[in-house]
Amino acid sequence: MEETVTTDVVVTESDTVLDIEDFCVDYGWGASAVRAVNHVNLSVRRSRVLGVAGESGSGKSTLVYAATRLLRSPGVISGGRVTLTFDDPTSVDAKRRTVDLLTASQSDLREIRWSQVSIVLQSALNALNPVLRIGHEFDEVLKTHRPGMKKAQRRERAGELLALVGLNADRLARFPHELSGGQRQRIMIALALALDPQLVIMDEPTTALDVVTQREIVNELAQLRARFGFSMIFITHDLSLLVELADDIAVMYAGNVVEWAPAGDLYNTPRHPYTLGLLNSSPPLSGERRELVGITGSPPDMSQPIAGCSFHARCPFALEKCSSQVPELRVLDDSGRKVACWLHDTPAEVPVALRRRAGEVVDDHAPPHEEEALR
Amino acid sequence: MSDAQLEARHLSRHFVVRTGHGLVRPKKVVRAVDDVSLSLHARRVTAVVGESGSGKSVLARMLARIVVPTSGELLLDGVTIPVDAPRTLGYTSDVQLVLQDPFASINPVHPIRHSLERPLIIHGTARAQIDERARATLARVSLDPPERYLDRYPHELSGGQLQRVSIARALCVNPKVLLADEPISMLDVSVRLGVLNLLRGLCDDEQLAVLYITHDIASARYIADETIVMYAGQVVEHSEGTALIDAPAHPYTQLLIASVPDPSDPLRRAPEIEDRTGQGQFPAEGCRFAPRCPHAMDVCRSTAPPLFEVTTGHESRCWLHEGAVPVVIDSRTRGGTTSST
Repeated sequence: MEETVTTDVVVTESDTVLDIEDFCVDYGWGASAVRAVNHVNLSVRRSRVLGVAGESGSGKSTLVYAATRLLRSPGVISGGRVTLTFDDPTSVDAKRRTVDLLTASQSDLREIRWSQVSIVLQSALNALNPVLRIGHEFDEVLKTHRPGMKKAQRRERAGELLALVGLNADRLARFPHELSGGQRQRIMIALALALDPQLVIMDEPTTALDVVTQREIVNELAQLRARFGFSMIFITHDLSLLVELADDIAVMYAGNVVEWAPAGDLYNTPRHPYTLGLLNSSPPLSGERRELVGITGSPPDMSQPIAGCSFHARCPFALEKCSSQVPELRVLDDSGRKVACWLHDTPAEVPVALRRRAGEVVDDHAPPHEEEALR
Repeated sequence: MSDAQLEARHLSRHFVVRTGHGLVRPKKVVRAVDDVSLSLHARRVTAVVGESGSGKSVLARMLARIVVPTSGELLLDGVTIPVDAPRTLGYTSDVQLVLQDPFASINPVHPIRHSLERPLIIHGTARAQIDERARATLARVSLDPPERYLDRYPHELSGGQLQRVSIARALCVNPKVLLADEPISMLDVSVRLGVLNLLRGLCDDEQLAVLYITHDIASARYIADETIVMYAGQVVEHSEGTALIDAPAHPYTQLLIASVPDPSDPLRRAPEIEDRTGQGQFPAEGCRFAPRCPHAMDVCRSTAPPLFEVTTGHESRCWLHEGAVPVVIDSRTRGGTTSST
């Protein structure tokens, strides 16, 4: 992978593109409502990558769909605030504009979507219209959002965009079924970048792909980001992939963010038992073979109310109060890391595996990958 | 060590497809599986690793005799099964297949009990024993207590539980060989290990021969006693244990391993891939990996390489390893070195 993507955009703490505050999303209404996203606070900084990791049903996709107002009924946004800050190309003095996405009108949303925030979906085959040629998809986007462009210009731009993702312009005349999964996903990425957005949301873009294709696409994304400096939200269940790609990672479980940390810290020194379990769930490619336990049990049934910490039933370190009181997401250390876990309330009682420093190898629940290089 | 429970010799499956548009559409032969030999032994997990389209699922279906091979032969317990003979109950009670997606492979309109009892009824279990056998099988896949699951419907169970039901359904008839076609790829990360540990445990405790098909090479390393890498329908590398993962010899295996995200080694870079557009189309002559291979030589483009022995019990289908003696997998007798996790 293209290492340490450097952009010459100066990043300050307040330089946030997307700010999600106390965000709640339900499925259904009234008594039968199921809380899918529970008081989530997250922000995406300019030109940075926020990784969101979690299993199916953890609310990671619901979070971004709701935040961008793409969530369909019976999904209901039941609280919070989502603001998008972007450079307004239409204003004369090119000022930063901040829009509250949850109260924005449809016409405001229409202006923002695709040109400021774009999305790449997991299944490219389902996202592309099977009866339209690839060129049509590009043409439609450009025609809608750039009415001044002539047909020939649009065609040229589409060719440029395909070249960005390493595809030949002759693909424009093809139908989705004529392309391989990797090519289709590249087209989705090219489409997402068509209007030079400030934020690109990637919802499991490589999950359905082979590992070699995934590697190519991830490398390409790193190059594109270095070139255009867009921010990214990358959603996946593959924590190892996220560690390579993201600057910060939020781990979600049952609708809650249970841990937030800079990518390297999260990988080297996990502090939440679920993060530790996730890291221990992928068999390593090097080091001695030994039996791993991972996480016992299965994810909770979200339609039933969960008392206390949502992870307590599967947690190997659960305390008595974990089954009755809900832990809050609190800042743990200087790096800004946040953890929602009662264990860290009494530092003396934190299990060894959850207070390990970087590089320190603990025999029980050792890190999933040994320190040595592969070859 | 016992002889192979199930052995495949030079198994091939070619599909004829029509290409292009219009009235005259030329025929094209897709060699989905080409001359694959392997043997499955009791208490051993044989892992087959490959990307989608490498023919690994067609191979599993041929071993389960759902797909009829174009050529080659199958031996069950040393007895040759004619490839064109109809599939018998005897064969299916010895060789069972577990499919990738438990949500799609278990009938959603019937409770779990139905899915478990069907094979028992078909295979002639006495009525009185059926309920007991179904319960016992659920216990074997750690779905305890069985009564909590027997009368539930598939949608009431999680993916991990459902895949266990799918494995239980295969185990009902006490097979000798279990073919698992990507059993964990549809499951959540946190429950995958549980299913892998279950397969390993069944293999060790119940003398099962297990074929584990996957695209996740790390999981193959975790569970396998013997590893096979397939590319474009061929075995490109084969080794005892996981030697081919720890020291990959074939350029494709090297590419595969280098592509796996491994944050513990941030300096590692995936090798550049020469020809991306060549994906999905394989040359008719020479090595099928040659268009994507960084080491491709002239000989690779003209002549298909045989399997060469790299070290004892480790073969690679690559001209880079020429000089060693070409080997045919099935002619070798295997030693009794069963490695364990």
